[in-house]
Amino acid sequence: MADDRGPTSAPPFTLRRSVTTATATATSAGLAFAAIDYLGVVSILAYAPGATAAVAILVGGLMVVLVAGIFAELNGLYPSAAGIRLYLGRAVGHRTALSVTFTYMTTVVLVIAADAFLIGAAIRHVLHEPAALAYLWIAVLLGLALAANLRGVRMAGWVQTLVTYTVLSGTAVLSVVAIFHRGHAFHEPFALFGNGAFSGVQAVAFALFLYAAFEWVTTTAEEARTPRVITRALFIAPLLIWVVATLFVLALTHLVPFAVLHHSAYPQLLMGKAALGTIGELWMLALTVLTALNTFNGGFLVASRFIYAAARENTLPRQFAKLNLNAVPWLAVCVLAGVSAIVAALVFATGQWLLLVAVGAAIEAAIYALGSVCLLVLRRRESRERPFRLIAGRPLASFGAVLFTVMFLATGLSDPKHPSHLSVVPLAVILVLGALSVGYVLLYVPKLQAAAAVRAAANRPKRRPPRPTATSGDGAPVTGA
Amino acid sequence: MADWDELAEALADYTISCNENERLRRMQRDWSRVLHFVCSDSGVLFSMEVDRGEILATPEGHVGTPDIVVTTHSETFCDMFWGDLNPVQKYLRGEITVKGSQEDVMRLDAISAVIWPDA
Repeated sequence: MADDRGPTSAPPFTLRRSVTTATATATSAGLAFAAIDYLGVVSILAYAPGATAAVAILVGGLMVVLVAGIFAELNGLYPSAAGIRLYLGRAVGHRTALSVTFTYMTTVVLVIAADAFLIGAAIRHVLHEPAALAYLWIAVLLGLALAANLRGVRMAGWVQTLVTYTVLSGTAVLSVVAIFHRGHAFHEPFALFGNGAFSGVQAVAFALFLYAAFEWVTTTAEEARTPRVITRALFIAPLLIWVVATLFVLALTHLVPFAVLHHSAYPQLLMGKAALGTIGELWMLALTVLTALNTFNGGFLVASRFIYAAARENTLPRQFAKLNLNAVPWLAVCVLAGVSAIVAALVFATGQWLLLVAVGAAIEAAIYALGSVCLLVLRRRESRERPFRLIAGRPLASFGAVLFTVMFLATGLSDPKHPSHLSVVPLAVILVLGALSVGYVLLYVPKLQAAAAVRAAANRPKRRPPRPTATSGDGAPVTGA
Repeated sequence: MADWDELAEALADYTISCNENERLRRMQRDWSRVLHFVCSDSGVLFSMEVDRGEILATPEGHVGTPDIVVTTHSETFCDMFWGDLNPVQKYLRGEITVKGSQEDVMRLDAISAVIWPDA
């Protein structure tokens, strides 16, 4: 009998459908490269003028290599869709993990809202409509995303891959055209610290944001053919983003003055128009709309499934786990769309789109710092073999914890609209979100769990039959397994 | 540690609960999958064949090429199939490991969520 065997680890399996390196890389790059990245480039330019921004993007990319190494090792230890939640849970406890994950999930809402706003603004601009109509486009986009999600419509993996590579290659090709459009030399190519040391640090911190969310590919670890697929994606995707972002920033600074970019919500359209006229503008508009497919598909899916799982484990009200007949957690999807619409309306009314970039960049830097801490703790606690082991992991993780904390402060204290000033607004927004998450986890979650326990005890006695107790020949009871 | 007989009893009850639930059958009408299960403590292997939401068979051993592979302790499987345990809590703590798409993992949990909402 099979149950006579000793404990075994799971043997390797070949799934009927599994994620390959190309798909995982597209997923990683697609999650990172959203419409808000075009604004991220403007935020870098606020601190690193002209072609110097390319240096900031390179330095940010080198830091991301460290992040890739850290998450590759963590993913090898725990290849799970629960991702950072599981790493943190194992390293610092489940309450902390839950508080951090709730805060982290707000970045998904911010990115969805920001993309809805940016795409709405871009469409309105190209169609020469009044500014007020931008919000109509935002509502239409979010409405379409809501309807598609409620009906359980999913982009096939190959469509997602095609969309991502089209956006990346389309941006790169038009950028190359723009760079060779006129024979100007690049302005200020090596003045990273020209505006002061902290300004250079802030430029690099915003450059880090261009790669943000690439590590979410770890949530597809359960679909990967082997753990190495995710490891490869974690290292290849930042390389693609680096190439595209560098070409884009060089093209942008080559053709469009910063004074024009600084007040625009659609710098990519300005670059497209400067390079190829109306064709270039429509080209970049099409790519911007395509990014929405990845953002709305991936963002709604990741966040709504997180909410569903949290409700199923009784850390959110159980209504969020209600499924419609398409097996979609409908309340979670509706709330996400509603909150995104409200945030997009606030951005629309205040014009504070660069604040979203600053908050998103700071939260990502904080997650990278926490990922480094997780690696340090789990190196001590988990001795088992990993498919990927970061060389000099402990010193590098210690360095990462400090480095990304500095990056967190650099973006958390920034004001990209007025780069010479420090602002506590991004940090204050994050602290408020964090305090709400911690308060919720400490005060409300225990009540939810107690209520769930009472409900389960009252409504549903255990169904599993008690294991029969055999007796030996002398009448002494023999226990089961 | 639960043996195959205990697992088979739990699976039989689970199959009836799933197949007799009209709402679940409608929800899973487009879900046809082969699932493999691995008991990490005893080494017992078993499969589940689902066709348009209906569980057709739950044989011992691994049959066919899987869409999803679930690994955990045999006792956890037993409690899960009897509906005495919320699989999400175990999953989020890394005590149940899964290979398969996120959508399929959610569909699998949706079965428990629909037939035992209070578990």
